[in-house]
Amino acid sequence: MNGRVLHFYLAGINNQNFLMRDRETGTWWQQITGKAIYGPLQGAALELVLSDELTFGQWRSESPGGKVLAPVAKYTKDYDSNWEPDVAKLPVVISFPGTDLKSRDVVVGLTINGAARAYPWETFAKQSPVLDRVNGAPLLLAIGPDGKSFRAFASRIDGRDAEFFLQADAKDWTLVDATTASQWNFQGCATSGPAQGKCLARIPALKDYWFDWRNYHPDTTVYKH
Amino acid sequence: MPASSLYPPTLRHERPSLSGLWFAYSLCAFTGVALFLIPAFIIRPFRHQGPRALLLAMTLRQRAPLGTLIAALACLGLALALWRTVSRWRKSILVLTLLVVGFSAVMARLNYFEWMFHPIDGPQFLAQADSKLDTKEMIMAVRMGSEARAYPISQMAYHHVLNDVAGGVPIAVTY
Repeated sequence: MNGRVLHFYLAGINNQNFLMRDRETGTWWQQITGKAIYGPLQGAALELVLSDELTFGQWRSESPGGKVLAPVAKYTKDYDSNWEPDVAKLPVVISFPGTDLKSRDVVVGLTINGAARAYPWETFAKQSPVLDRVNGAPLLLAIGPDGKSFRAFASRIDGRDAEFFLQADAKDWTLVDATTASQWNFQGCATSGPAQGKCLARIPALKDYWFDWRNYHPDTTVYKH
Repeated sequence: MPASSLYPPTLRHERPSLSGLWFAYSLCAFTGVALFLIPAFIIRPFRHQGPRALLLAMTLRQRAPLGTLIAALACLGLALALWRTVSRWRKSILVLTLLVVGFSAVMARLNYFEWMFHPIDGPQFLAQADSKLDTKEMIMAVRMGSEARAYPISQMAYHHVLNDVAGGVPIAVTY
């Protein structure tokens, strides 16, 4: 923050989205937004770093030489590899009636110039790749070959809107664009065809519970098809 | 009209000052305990936090480390001033409240959330080949420059916050 390195620690919970404080100033930050909500730095916001939610296998194939956070021996008994189903059973404290979604439904949420949209995971998984338009921007959302990893891209090749389809007869998971008929991998890069070597721009997307996404994006729309 | 009612009794002038001390003592004991308990009560898991309640909690918690210390010291001073004048059972009330206020001052300095979810200070990393993760396990991944890092969700869901430096950039990884 402004050239100063902050170190964060867990400081509480706000409707099941955690609060952290930094050791340097004691400011309170909301996890999901990265915004300083109280304290000396109130009003500031952390810069979002592009990140992925992938299976270990998918990541390993894409990032040879990458490093993995080591488990801390004395806490391994506290690690829960069945985390998602276990948390799904926990109670919720806020709900937003008026949509078909339940509080603990998993959505992938993204924001384009302030316009937020949530993609219910079930629909997304059935339809992947999903082509959509938010605030005029063409989007491509895809679930990877493992059925669990996901990414969102700006669906534009050289500034022109593009459409993508899953290539059914390909040996590996492959997308094909309708304009150039190039083949694209899950990283959003063309591996063969006229567009070879080009990569689509990434769009940050967050896998979240509906109640949490809706709480911080009150004007969000929900993808329906 | 009896004359005595015209002149307030002056013999018992020590009484008001004693009750003043007791009043001050109760006030500082209440302050000391409230500075810890109110935020702890508001920010508890599986409960709804309203925006105003949350603001109150953060405001108090921010001031609690110093506030509870001042309250505890003030209570201690007042208790010493009261000590010789009071009966045995009131002494025990003094001791008991002092313990509670002291406990409050200690708790205001401790992060009990990290007792439930221990932080990692100085994260260690493994080469892919040394990792025992299953290929189907979910991880969060970042790439900073040429450095790629994976943070297994099973681990991050426990620690919640991790301070790291990747590709020379300080990042906070959260889940």
